[in-house]
Amino acid sequence: METRQFEVAGRRARRKDGIAKVTGREIYSSDVYLPGMMHAVVLRSPHPHAEIVDVDVSEAERMGAVCLTPFDVPDTVYNERTVSIPEKTYRDRTVLPKKVRHVGEAVLAVAHDTEELAMLALSKVKVQYKELPSALDVKDAMVEARGARLYDTVFLGGECIQVKNNIACERSIAVGDVEDGFRQADITVESEFEAQRMYHAQMETKAAVCAPEPDGGITVWTTTQTIHNVRQLLGQIFSLPLHKVNVKRIALGGAFGSSIQMNSITPICVGLALRAKRPVKLVTSREEDMYDHVKYPVRFWLKFGAKKDGRLVAAHMKALVDIGAHNIQAYPLLGCIAGWFASLYKFQNLLFEGRAVYTNKVPACAMQGYGNPQTNFAVESLMDMLAEELGIDPIQLRLMNYVGVGDEFWGQGPTVRSIIKSCGVEEMLSRGAAMIGWDRRVHPSQKSGDVVRGIGVARGFHTSGTGGPKPGEVIDYSSATIKVNEDGSVDLITPVMDQGGGTWEAAAKVVAEVLKVPLDMVGISPSDTRTTGYDVCTHATRGVYCGVGAVHHVAEQVRQKILEFAARILEQNPRDLSLARNEEIGQAVIYPTGLPDRYITLGEVAKTAQIKSWGTIAATDSYRQKNCPPCFVTHFVEVEVEKRTGRVRIVRAALLGDCGTPINPDMVKGQLIGGLCRGLAFALLEETAYDSNTGRLVCGGYLTDYKLPTACEMPAIDDIMVGFANTYEPSGPLGAKGIGEAALNSAASAIVNAIYNATGIRFKKLPVTPERVLEALREGVAR
Amino acid sequence: MTETSITLTLNGKKKTLRVRPNELLLNVLRDRLFLTGAKYGCGIGECGACTVLIDGRPALACLTLAVAIDGKEVVTVEGLARGDELDPLQEAFLDHGAVQCGFCTPGMIMTARSLLDENPSPSEEEVREYIRGNICRCTGYTSIVSAILSCAQEKEGA
Repeated sequence: METRQFEVAGRRARRKDGIAKVTGREIYSSDVYLPGMMHAVVLRSPHPHAEIVDVDVSEAERMGAVCLTPFDVPDTVYNERTVSIPEKTYRDRTVLPKKVRHVGEAVLAVAHDTEELAMLALSKVKVQYKELPSALDVKDAMVEARGARLYDTVFLGGECIQVKNNIACERSIAVGDVEDGFRQADITVESEFEAQRMYHAQMETKAAVCAPEPDGGITVWTTTQTIHNVRQLLGQIFSLPLHKVNVKRIALGGAFGSSIQMNSITPICVGLALRAKRPVKLVTSREEDMYDHVKYPVRFWLKFGAKKDGRLVAAHMKALVDIGAHNIQAYPLLGCIAGWFASLYKFQNLLFEGRAVYTNKVPACAMQGYGNPQTNFAVESLMDMLAEELGIDPIQLRLMNYVGVGDEFWGQGPTVRSIIKSCGVEEMLSRGAAMIGWDRRVHPSQKSGDVVRGIGVARGFHTSGTGGPKPGEVIDYSSATIKVNEDGSVDLITPVMDQGGGTWEAAAKVVAEVLKVPLDMVGISPSDTRTTGYDVCTHATRGVYCGVGAVHHVAEQVRQKILEFAARILEQNPRDLSLARNEEIGQAVIYPTGLPDRYITLGEVAKTAQIKSWGTIAATDSYRQKNCPPCFVTHFVEVEVEKRTGRVRIVRAALLGDCGTPINPDMVKGQLIGGLCRGLAFALLEETAYDSNTGRLVCGGYLTDYKLPTACEMPAIDDIMVGFANTYEPSGPLGAKGIGEAALNSAASAIVNAIYNATGIRFKKLPVTPERVLEALREGVAR
Repeated sequence: MTETSITLTLNGKKKTLRVRPNELLLNVLRDRLFLTGAKYGCGIGECGACTVLIDGRPALACLTLAVAIDGKEVVTVEGLARGDELDPLQEAFLDHGAVQCGFCTPGMIMTARSLLDENPSPSEEEVREYIRGNICRCTGYTSIVSAILSCAQEKEGA
């Protein structure tokens, strides 16, 4: 294994946006105020399924409001998530619909001088609906006779296709011969699993500000993980040339996938601003946000076949996904679920059959892991069940079958694959076992009393980006611009969004590392779509590996230019020069190799180049990663179950991450602990349940009733142990892979496996609420 | 609606404002004074992102009517630093990696400030209990609790 010493990467530093964030001076979309700005509010559907027969906004307009109705918007049918290639992108929505398909779907919007006036005007709007039969249950939705028909036709690429039985799309993916595999098996295990509709609950509700420009263009500040995709969609929807659509990169108050697409409110805000010819701000309420997007809920049926010695020989997965009212890329999701399944273990013969179905519920979209936590829950639960059947230790069974170095990894479904070059799986399983005290673990039958404890393990991964040797169904490249200023400081201009995980910080550290500049001398420039090349999106755990990969690629070009200009000054061959960090001077210095005293500073080089009119030391380029290395994780969790109350508490956890070089080690740790917290939420607490009559959220859009974890639900500081695998990814910037989504992916699985070890009850439906624990315990006692 | 005149001390400075009876402190701070540190996260007192100090006690600006702060002292996150010198809690949040997306940070810091003013050396459990009304979706709270405890220890040693 290759290891390297770095001077900046891998060391802790205060994040550059930290001062603004702790002093309240960071600007998020909702903090943008413009002269003459109007405030917008949205009228949302009270019905799960209804045609909009008529709208009357005359009274609101008499009050001075500007209104945008379904009859005013462009008829462009689009998909808000555009990271897949167009021919694999389903399109089913417009800015505002003439038919609402879920409670809370936007019907029309109103802007006025203040939020209060906008709300008063909105209360005067009249909408006439014709209610339609609705489908709230995914299985009912597929029954034509029940009468709910969300779409007659949708678009796939440029083609108009029929929708039958509300089935949005299907995918079947096979490797080897699964029937033959099961024939070879000595033992089979199978079960159903169900993962719920969880809400992202990013702290910043979706927001947009749009300023119409004098040239007919627009400037937009909005919650998004991709400024360039928002730009292209807005240009397409509103028929604006792209040079007149400028989307600003701005701080994002968390996302977890909720802004992987252009948010539904963004074009509404733009439509109002273009009508009003004034800047408009639209900030969603928490309730509206909860009615906007959720995680993809999945029902699985899963079967494994293995030899007596524990070697897997076959696996068959069926996945049924309830996508809600819009198809926000369920097709790549099904491919990804197949990939997350296929890349966990060497099943040898595998069949995946996935189906995504429309229902009259909140549209599901990517949420941290993009189907991976759901898939991991099913696979890692069944692995534990198989281990018990075989009488093999769960860690041993995993070690026998995991996909590792030299094996093929599916980074984004079957069309994005690459060969694994770095892997910390074995190290993490053995270190984690020692950290949690795996040898203390005893069978549930040996436990008694009202309070029982159990230890569980699960391993997982996520891809780092969506690059492969050949481009697949997903677009993946990034761009960067770096320039050296005349005092030796450096400006970094990147289109990459940072959800808070520290992507920008990693970018600055890579620049500092390559150019030997002190980290303080690297500035992260404000940027927008006008001043940057394309970046697809901060999704798929690609921020560091791909986004910062492009920064690394451009920094190497800048390094060459520095040496070329310095060579002219020093009258040397560039190859005979050394570039080094000089903390005392606070700059990078360049000197003839072996003669450090004959240095000139980077600032002197840049200033000389400017005075002599040689030019600015700068480079700009795009870069595509040609691998998608998995960042592996392993979760060991100890739980305590109170049998009288059904309450499950996490008492200890060992979190292990394999991100290659951890460029921001404190932030990688933060990702792993944050992942545990959201894993706890997924495993034990959160679900957006629906009233089966009204189609409304049972929690009513309230955070309190939705039950998010607070500081009190997490284990104590000393009871969370974090470890990094000692790996180096040869294809990554400074040896780095990703971590973000991986940090969550096996957390809930480990918790559920620990609950089994505590109680002997295998929970197959999430979340494992106290009610469900009590019910299961009662049934257990009855049996 | 009739406006009322209120006088308050905001971040150490006397200020007189005319407010309407239904105006919320959060809107006055953000929309009129452009103090956007206090965040809108829910608008109904569920998330803590809008926490400010009123007469030294943590208060949810989204649930506080502006008329109710007449004669009171209000400190927002913008008023916590003394000139260029950050509050020790702000320093600790930076040093402990307690900031990710940063949206909960202003409210979290204000709640923590109030805790430490009330109880200079809280236990870990007391810290967790005190900040349980402030939701953070990114960090899992560990780094935030560590940051707060680091300030408590410093106080104890001083």
